[in-house]
Amino acid sequence: MRTRILGFGALATVALAAMFGLFVVPADLNQGDAQRIMYVHVASAWIAYLSFIVTALAGIGWLVRRDLRFDAVALAGAEIGVIFTALAIWGGMMWARPVWGTFWQWEDPRLTTTALLLALYIGYLLLRRLSDDPRRRATRAAVVGLVAAVDIPIVHFSVIWWRGLHQAPTFGSPDRLLHPAAPMQFVAALLLMLLAVTLAWLYLMIRRYQLARLETLLEEAARLGRLRSARASVARTAPVDITAAVDAAAPQPSRSTSSAEEPAR
Amino acid sequence: MLAVAAVVAVIAYFALSGVGNALVYYLTPSELLARGDRAFDETVRLGGLVKPGSVSGPATDLRFVLTDETHEIPVHSTVAPTSSFRAGVGAVVEGRLGRNGVFEATQVLVKHDENYVAPSPGAVPSHIVGS
Repeated sequence: MRTRILGFGALATVALAAMFGLFVVPADLNQGDAQRIMYVHVASAWIAYLSFIVTALAGIGWLVRRDLRFDAVALAGAEIGVIFTALAIWGGMMWARPVWGTFWQWEDPRLTTTALLLALYIGYLLLRRLSDDPRRRATRAAVVGLVAAVDIPIVHFSVIWWRGLHQAPTFGSPDRLLHPAAPMQFVAALLLMLLAVTLAWLYLMIRRYQLARLETLLEEAARLGRLRSARASVARTAPVDITAAVDAAAPQPSRSTSSAEEPAR
Repeated sequence: MLAVAAVVAVIAYFALSGVGNALVYYLTPSELLARGDRAFDETVRLGGLVKPGSVSGPATDLRFVLTDETHEIPVHSTVAPTSSFRAGVGAVVEGRLGRNGVFEATQVLVKHDENYVAPSPGAVPSHIVGS
């Protein structure tokens, strides 16, 4: 019930932030309405960072505590992060065409490292499908999740470290946090959008986590079911009832061991 | 583990090649001119500020000067840039420097900076002021 309230709250805040960014705040003098994409673009990138950092931390959690609930959190973070990375790239491209004059430039460090980020975490999700042993899968995913996280600061600081087409952060660099290079109403619109998507992210994370836990239970049940049916079919075809033979082989003083020796002859 | 090693290798390649300056998105006018004879007839990207007062001609036969405050290179382009192109803005052009010293651009990209301006009474978009 609390999660549902959070979900509706997030939806309402996203709607409010969208209205604010689209109709209340004026567009940038030079870029025009294309600038409004920035609110969603920056917010998507923030959620992508947040998700992948959570995935990395949950990976450490699994490696240290060996509790599969950490792995469920890691999965949720990676899936949501991939969606929002794709959204950030898509929004950026929609903005870049009217302002820069091109959708994409491969050699730009920010664009290229972000594309790499998307590829890394799609790889992470594919890797998770390679094993049906939940513990082995969790370990592999944790290691790859930690390695892939190295790209997060590279993406963020690429615009400061290297020369490229993408502009430096307006708010997100250490010297700009208190002196953003934008009017306060733009800052307010962005902060509201950041709050809105973070609430939505929290809701999505909880729901995806719950789903992942259910999937684990299903997987477990399926495995037990397979085990049971395999035992049953062996029991049906084998000349001797294996289950009974195993039972008989166990040290039980009242029973004879002759039936257990039979298949050996 | 092999997959992990591959991922590490890719990231290391990106990080090192960037630090090693192999990952330079564009050259400044000073850097291009410093190449001497090798500067000519090679396709490169050139970036700088559009020198105020240097923009002339229609959008499909555009002439302007790119400067890094030290050196400047005249640019000629037959492809129209976006409407955000104006004097004083950062621009990245792709093409080659001719022997006559004029850079023939096949693409003009406008490099937007991180500053935003809200409209206020009397304020005019700077692309109207600039050119």
